[in-house]
Amino acid sequence: MTIGIRLNGRHTALECEPTDLLLDVLRDEGLTSVRETCGIGVCGACTVLLDGEPVTGCLTMAGHARGREVTTVEGLDGAHPVQRAFVAERAFQCGWCTPGFVLTAKRLLEENATPSDAEIAEALGGNLCRCGCYVRITEAVRRAGAEMAKDVPPNNTGRKGA
Amino acid sequence: MTAAIGVDARVTGAARYSVDVERPGMLHAAFVRSPYAHARVRSVDVSAVPGGCVALAPADVADLGRYGCQARDQRVLADVARYAGDVVAAVAAPTRAEARAAAGLVAVEYEELPAVFDAVAALAPDAVLLHPEAAASAEEEVSIGVRPVPGTNVCHRFRLVSGDVAAGLAEADVVVEETFRTPSAAHVPMEPHAALAEWDDGRLTVWAGTQTPFNTRADLAGLFGLDPERVRVVAPPMGGSFGAKTFVRTEAVVAALARRAGRPVKVVLDRAEEFVTLNRHPATIRVRVGARSDGTLVAKEVDCWVDTGAYADCGPGVATKLGYAGVGPYRIPHVRVEARAIYTNLPPNGAYRGYGAMQSVWASERTMDVLAGRLGMSPLDLRRRNLLRDGDRFATGEVMHDVRFDECLQAAADAVGYEADPRGKGLCVLLKGMQTPSRAAIAVERTPVGYVVRSASCEMGQGVRRSIQLMAAGLLGCEPGQVELPDPDTDVSPFDTRTTSSRSTHMMGRALAEAVADLRSNGGERGFGEVRDGGGLDPDTGQGIASTHWHQGAAGARVSVDEETGRVTVEHLHGVAYAGRVVDRAGAELQNEGSLTMGLGTALFEAIDFSDGMVGNSNLSDYNVPALGDLPGRFTHELIEREGAEVHGLGETVLPPVPAAIGNALHSLGLHLRDLPMTPERVLAAVDARDGRAGGNGRGGRDGRDGRDSGAGRA
Amino acid sequence: MTLGAVEWLAPSTLREAIAVRAERGEEATVVAGGTFVGILINQGLLSPSALLSLGDVAELRGIEVAGGELRLGAGVTHRTVERDPSVRAGWPMLARAFAVVASPRVRNQATVGGVLADADYASDPPAALQALGARAVLRSPDGERAVPVEELILGWYETCIRPDELLVEVRVPPSPARAVYRKFRSRSSEDRPCVAVAAARDEGRLRVVVGAVAGRPQEFADVCAIAGGREIDAALAAEIARGYADRLEPIADARGSADYRRRVAAVEVRRALEELAA
Repeated sequence: MTIGIRLNGRHTALECEPTDLLLDVLRDEGLTSVRETCGIGVCGACTVLLDGEPVTGCLTMAGHARGREVTTVEGLDGAHPVQRAFVAERAFQCGWCTPGFVLTAKRLLEENATPSDAEIAEALGGNLCRCGCYVRITEAVRRAGAEMAKDVPPNNTGRKGA
Repeated sequence: MTAAIGVDARVTGAARYSVDVERPGMLHAAFVRSPYAHARVRSVDVSAVPGGCVALAPADVADLGRYGCQARDQRVLADVARYAGDVVAAVAAPTRAEARAAAGLVAVEYEELPAVFDAVAALAPDAVLLHPEAAASAEEEVSIGVRPVPGTNVCHRFRLVSGDVAAGLAEADVVVEETFRTPSAAHVPMEPHAALAEWDDGRLTVWAGTQTPFNTRADLAGLFGLDPERVRVVAPPMGGSFGAKTFVRTEAVVAALARRAGRPVKVVLDRAEEFVTLNRHPATIRVRVGARSDGTLVAKEVDCWVDTGAYADCGPGVATKLGYAGVGPYRIPHVRVEARAIYTNLPPNGAYRGYGAMQSVWASERTMDVLAGRLGMSPLDLRRRNLLRDGDRFATGEVMHDVRFDECLQAAADAVGYEADPRGKGLCVLLKGMQTPSRAAIAVERTPVGYVVRSASCEMGQGVRRSIQLMAAGLLGCEPGQVELPDPDTDVSPFDTRTTSSRSTHMMGRALAEAVADLRSNGGERGFGEVRDGGGLDPDTGQGIASTHWHQGAAGARVSVDEETGRVTVEHLHGVAYAGRVVDRAGAELQNEGSLTMGLGTALFEAIDFSDGMVGNSNLSDYNVPALGDLPGRFTHELIEREGAEVHGLGETVLPPVPAAIGNALHSLGLHLRDLPMTPERVLAAVDARDGRAGGNGRGGRDGRDGRDSGAGRA
Repeated sequence: MTLGAVEWLAPSTLREAIAVRAERGEEATVVAGGTFVGILINQGLLSPSALLSLGDVAELRGIEVAGGELRLGAGVTHRTVERDPSVRAGWPMLARAFAVVASPRVRNQATVGGVLADADYASDPPAALQALGARAVLRSPDGERAVPVEELILGWYETCIRPDELLVEVRVPPSPARAVYRKFRSRSSEDRPCVAVAAARDEGRLRVVVGAVAGRPQEFADVCAIAGGREIDAALAAEIARGYADRLEPIADARGSADYRRRVAAVEVRRALEELAA
């Protein structure tokens, strides 16, 4: 079966079953930033953006992505404020969990570029880092947010309900 | 294949790990695992496995002997399954899904045997013996002198005797005895174990996520009857390891499958399998310590029952290190340690960040606070009075140098304001050794654009590649970006003992200095450097050189407790590591934070739940690892440096002291915890015990299900 | 964990969905967000031959307030419930109970209908919905019935939903003035609940529902009736809490033993009542 999605900005026809997991389908497309890790949606290492919102790649079936926009870190240009902030703050060690954090942080900061520590912890709580980089990850999110806040248009407060 | 040195690959998704290795024509493997904790394999019937799949049955590995890094007690396929999860057969197929389906079609007949799940119970006279014939490994180049006790489940017995402990205890004014327990725990590297094996004209190549390429090469060569040069191990970067990916884990099975299939075979474990591959040693540790009324320590006995699971792996080494670390960084004239690595029918236990230090530091440092209470002394003063100084002898007989225990402890105390008010606060100071003896070699070669450095140090997130790059750039006078560092490859990387024990920056730094000097002295094109540290401990007396330099650290904790539910809030956690010379500051800080965070999980909630040898919580919902919200409100750490000092490894140092610091903080509130993890349930039982309420037995139950055993023995 | 050939049924209207459900019954596993069914499949606990996906049925994603009653479409995500202005204004306890589930990522996919139909003992919304007197609307080709949560969830992962019925909507009566939801975790901040308490007090009636301690949410109306119309002071809160502790028969799992749960339930019920009265 062919399932059409918009993958990292390009119309892509996936040759797969609707019941295939987005995790597997995307890895078959060469997007190895999406990583099988816990299989039950608690660790966040397979996070992808579906219409801009974080979802769990290992629990999302390709059929549910039909006609929708799917984004992985490979679809960012490498110089997104969140990516640059993670590098500047060195907010990683082994890097396995990093794509999941980057996408989750991107979404958080698009909604709220100046989150409190509690809001950051809440938004990123579903992303596990066994190397324990949480302090620097939090710093990176703040740093990226500071940059993104400058780009927020005047009639958009940049905050949704907390 | 050179993995990207630049950090950008981690944020762009370009980073490649051991799970990403592919070879043309490869098949995917799935393992058939025993559901029984102890059972003879009567027959394996692979006739239902579809054509197009390749099955590996006992007959296919009958020509292969046994392997094991310190005791050769493992077979490629178990003829006797010694734990629930032991691999008894395997299948390879074009896809992973097909392999898993085919594995389900392998019919195995078992004859169940009695099983034992507790290290202390495994020593009972009538306990079933897991390995009636001991087989110490001669391959291990840094053999620790394995001492099995024939006719028992003791696969290694480490003893340390210094002075006359009976006399010492007799002259003590106060003697305190306590017994502590720690459960099994899971490393939970985010990336699971992965390996790919390929044969070519009688030569075996294995790509594996591993910290021990040369050990693995030696074991595979021994198994398949090859010269080591006919085996090549390549180690791509890992998505975390923490000790899980050490020694032979899946490599022998995939190599045997690849041999059978005539095609490359790859395996990637799933999360549930990770819990039955390699775990942390449970331990029961009894400490008896005697002091004079002024707080001078005179004698200490440490008895350790270390559960090494179904196979020894590096349990002997862990038991040894756990044993001497349990003495603590103190001057004690009379010391006796006995640490036994004991077989049980649980999954094998092996290297886990800290290598046994956490378990014995928990016991030893908690006992110090109990002793302080009995003496009416401040726990800080008691420690200060007895800490080793430069020139003192440790219980192993070695003279201590570059000693900073006092500084580390003081820094921890200062950070949490211990001296102003100790209530709700706890301290811990520790000493931990580095793998000794050990050998590291490194090669440097000039290229048109810089240099290539060949080192067998394996990257698992600890930043060893970055450290080597920085050190090389400093020595060679170039930019770090000009230093290329290919993945460890036993065909081209010079020998290194292994990437464990927080030794790599230290050892490779020294070897690099030699290599660059060599390069400079003979034309500037290439250089080779090697350092060998001799030493080691006599396993019967514990005397010798445990470590060429010591990992020294401390932790301080401030806690509050909800005494109605037992829930502990760590308000402030501070870790101190003596770094000596810092090569990569950000990397060192990250390692400290990572160790502290892992220590929090160990202290408060991590434990594998076993029930009749079966893992009850083999997923990340039922087994929790720390999340961002678990960090203490104040979470700080520091590196102590000294001009002109050696690089001191610190990849593990501040994990072991975390549980004891928190436990001692609870102790200051009258809550005496002896078992890890310090779950709310156990803390509540301690509250009951303190307040004299019925139902408080001081131990509490952590076990989720009644009658469950978390793998720690009862002494 | 790939499934191989599985039939994918993806109706785009509610009428179609009900027809397919009636036709295929239990043979087609219903999947909405997929956060629960996905886990069962990945863990090898479920190998369906067909999946009935409700993901394309837009009619299930409505939220409205009609006659003071909150109506949540079964396809509404947790994230939507937690953020919806009418829910936050009129049913703040409910918004909170949905907001504390897992992580935002999971809440982006998990649905109102799914969490009730899964009847997972360690999830938050069922206890909260029960305490607020919510009813699940079950529709079949023959009509529909509205079933209170306490009658919907029968036990471990088991509901009264018939093979020809779909859970299409959840209806929540006007919220009592005071309602609280407390979630006690014994391990990580991301852990599932060890004990959870939903409590709601209207003039006449007090409802206390304890979640995560048994196969289904636990409520003892007779114990709550002790309150009568009285103000809940410390003594009364403690008495009701003790009543709950006496009656509960908690389970043991990775998050705590039965005895511990009983003890914490007493504390959390009391604290919930103190919060209600504050």
